[in-house]
Amino acid sequence: MSKGLADGVGVARAEHFESVAQQREAATLGIWAWLITELLLFSALFLVALITRIQHPEATIAAAKHLKFWIGATNTVVLICSSLTMSMAIEFSRMGWQRAMVRAMLATAALGGLFLVLKGYEYYADWAEHMMPFLSDRPFALAETPAARLFVNLYYVATLLHALHLFTGIALLLGMTWMAAKAGFLARHQNWIEVYGLYWHFIDLVWILAFPILYVVNR
Amino acid sequence: MRNPLATLSADDRALLRRRLRTPVLTFLALLALLAVNVTLGATLPFAQVWIVELAVVAVMVALILLVSMEVIHEPPLIRLFSGLGFFWVAILVGMTLTDYLAR
Repeated sequence: MSKGLADGVGVARAEHFESVAQQREAATLGIWAWLITELLLFSALFLVALITRIQHPEATIAAAKHLKFWIGATNTVVLICSSLTMSMAIEFSRMGWQRAMVRAMLATAALGGLFLVLKGYEYYADWAEHMMPFLSDRPFALAETPAARLFVNLYYVATLLHALHLFTGIALLLGMTWMAAKAGFLARHQNWIEVYGLYWHFIDLVWILAFPILYVVNR
Repeated sequence: MRNPLATLSADDRALLRRRLRTPVLTFLALLALLAVNVTLGATLPFAQVWIVELAVVAVMVALILLVSMEVIHEPPLIRLFSGLGFFWVAILVGMTLTDYLAR
């Protein structure tokens, strides 16, 4: 939803749309249709994590004790900060403050990068603690509890899938920032920032679910 | 395009405050809710604390969905779409957990 656009800010109507309003609504509806499929994908993974907790509480708690709770919490703060900078970029785009918008977009990408660095360090710490059951040449620390292997594998699938979405999001954001820095962008494509913002907030939303379901409730 | 950040007039400052009020308040609310969950997770004050933790998460998700993703301001069709996604998730989670929790 675009509200209060400044003079000179808007969307160039494509010929197959009757109006700019219709074009904006179609773009927003399109990204939502895709986000719903993503929501169902991640929800199924989180649901399996909850079922693992219900079926094998001791093994799940033992495995979750090895997760880096404070890195997960820090990463949640990082993503909440990135949501703020993305919201700021959207507001700046509506106000026509192009340079401020570009800086907010770069800050968002930088925070996304920080998340990935922290996540990478977390994976390294897991590797050092022998918490990667899928590595055949490295014995799993909880090998005596097979259900722990199930939970840890699920943790990697869910967090790697999220990291892949974030990495893709950063790449798209940097590409869009490069385009958005050009003169006339906000006069023709302002809604691209809003549509992309929905994707970024969705990545944040998925992590807001992942952190408590994987790290917090299993402690 | 203008870049008034360097030399903000009084009008610009007022506009900036007005436009960024909701994102900043949402940010602070999300941080406060996260602090509640992290404190509960770190201290585990009682056995059924997971119920409170999941309730806090539900509020955080609702905030992001309604305010950050601006669903509350969208036309009815988009509100229906986003709502349907969570309705399907509710069916998925509800029916599966009904089975596992009732065994």
